Amino acid sequence: MIDFWIILTASLVATTTAILGCFLIMRKMAMIGDAISHAVLPGIVIAYYISHSRASFPILIGAAASGMVVTYLIQFFHQKVKLQQDASIGISYTFLFAIGIILISLFSGNVDLDQDCVLYGEIAYVPLDNLSIGGLYAGPRQVWILGTTLIIISTSVIVAYRKLVLTTFDPAFASAMGISVVLWQYYLMAGVSLTTVVSFESVGAVLVIAFLSGPAATAFLLTKDFKKMLYLAVGFGISASILGYYTAVWLAGSIAGAIATIIGLQFAIAFIYIQFLKKARISETLENKALTEV
Amino acid sequence: MKPSVETHNLTVIYDKKPAIWNIDFTLPTGKIIGIMGPNGSGKSTLLKAIMGIIEPNIGYSKLFDQDLEDVRNKVSYVPQRQSVDWDFPASVWDVVAMGRYATKGLFKRLSKEDHRMIEESLNKVNMTPFTNRQISQLSGGQQQRVFLARALAQNADLYLMDEPFVGVDAATEQAIINLLKSMRDEGKTLLVVHHDLHTAQDYFEHMVLLNSRLVAEGPTSEVFTKDILTETYGGTLTTLSKVASVLQEKDFPMRHK
Ligand SMILES: Nc1ncnc2c1ncn2[C@@H]1O[C@H](COP(=O)(O)OP(=O)(O)OP(=O)(O)O)[C@@H](O)[C@H]1O
Ligand SMILES: [Mg+2]
Repeated sequence: MIDFWIILTASLVATTTAILGCFLIMRKMAMIGDAISHAVLPGIVIAYYISHSRASFPILIGAAASGMVVTYLIQFFHQKVKLQQDASIGISYTFLFAIGIILISLFSGNVDLDQDCVLYGEIAYVPLDNLSIGGLYAGPRQVWILGTTLIIISTSVIVAYRKLVLTTFDPAFASAMGISVVLWQYYLMAGVSLTTVVSFESVGAVLVIAFLSGPAATAFLLTKDFKKMLYLAVGFGISASILGYYTAVWLAGSIAGAIATIIGLQFAIAFIYIQFLKKARISETLENKALTEV
Repeated sequence: MKPSVETHNLTVIYDKKPAIWNIDFTLPTGKIIGIMGPNGSGKSTLLKAIMGIIEPNIGYSKLFDQDLEDVRNKVSYVPQRQSVDWDFPASVWDVVAMGRYATKGLFKRLSKEDHRMIEESLNKVNMTPFTNRQISQLSGGQQQRVFLARALAQNADLYLMDEPFVGVDAATEQAIINLLKSMRDEGKTLLVVHHDLHTAQDYFEHMVLLNSRLVAEGPTSEVFTKDILTETYGGTLTTLSKVASVLQEKDFPMRHK
């Protein structure tokens, strides 16, 4: 049963992040997950300071709020200050992270808080924190939280699908149609903030970042249809979760590490496969040419 | 007749430097209208400001005597081809279908009628054989035609096109201009950013000459003159000789300096 819960947890995170990752990659914002993972720190510290508890709800609100702040800053530096996207991301999150560190050192006299305890969850512990409803065993708490997140994100994406695709592919055209590009950017980023924060707590930052960019990148190599890219990315995310888990069990190593490695391998295999396919196609054309010229 | 586009003191400033300055004009309906000017003269910015893609710092524009919001689904914008990432995973059909969302709303399924419009638009730009092709596997000229087909699928009354002839070969350019002329004959208005001085007189009945500020606007026969072109393009050698050769074709005497 523990196997099942761990794999389910990873798969839930994989599905949500893979969907968002496809949009992020096409918007050249794949590293936003990394940025948010650091940028949520001040929000968490402030939420903790105000609520004096480590309960996840206030912390979640604080984290999501700073997630929005970093999104705003990135937008601001990129559009108003005309900094490149990657530079804007870099400067925004390091700035917020630094504020978080300062806050921690300011409060450290009376609080017992470090980033690890909130942010860097460990997937192996997921089955230990269980939820019971009316005295009945209802599975790990994280599975419920992550399941809800998945439902929220997938419904939001389905509802706004055309707008998200249009503003991703051709923002000027979308804007000429009366669609607010900035609004949908925030919409997407709110989803990314929520997902990253919730997932950090259960599977840890490294795995979330790997899930956000890896499966989407692999899917991008293999298809030229955005809908298929979404499905493929989800498929890669889930299969990496399953394979990664059993690899970790087999090697008695870290689950998150093993899953992240499988994600990397998937990408490498897809990449080699594409190169191989290209070569095959070229030599085929050359042969045909040679035949017709004879 | 209602004017197609009118702008009043339209001004856009990026980083303290005005890209367009105090543009004031009223354009006729049912014509192919050229917007010309050197690189960086604010042609793209003008179209974007008219379409509300950029908020003007000063001034406003009206389309068919109405606010943009009220006529949006009657107006189509064709961005500069380089403005999008053609590696986006989509087929030619997917991109042209985006033109239908504009009139259709963003939730409804595409109807048989929509499918017919998409196919017809592809046919008009001779892209039917490429319907299922990935957009990353198109040549520049084919990409341009996909953008045109998307605009056609919108079935608008006014089209704002940013450099639709860039990177297309002579035959395609001819096909596109014929298409624009047939649209004009159906009563549509086409506002086209263009670079080539040689073809400008043949293509446009009306022109806007821009160099951050409005140099001239009016029927081609009145505004396409040596003085106005020199004022628009400034004194650079290549453009001056271009102007010279174009005007020689028009039988204007031109002295060498
Ligand atoms: N997003 C922007 N931020 C800052 N400056 C800009 C921006 N877009 C354009 N500019 C500047 O505004 C001026 C007008 O640019 P615009 O793109 O409208 O010119 P254009 O006439 O379309 O040029 P081209 O013929 O090269 O397409 C240029 O000096 C350009 O550098
Ligand atoms: Mg331009």
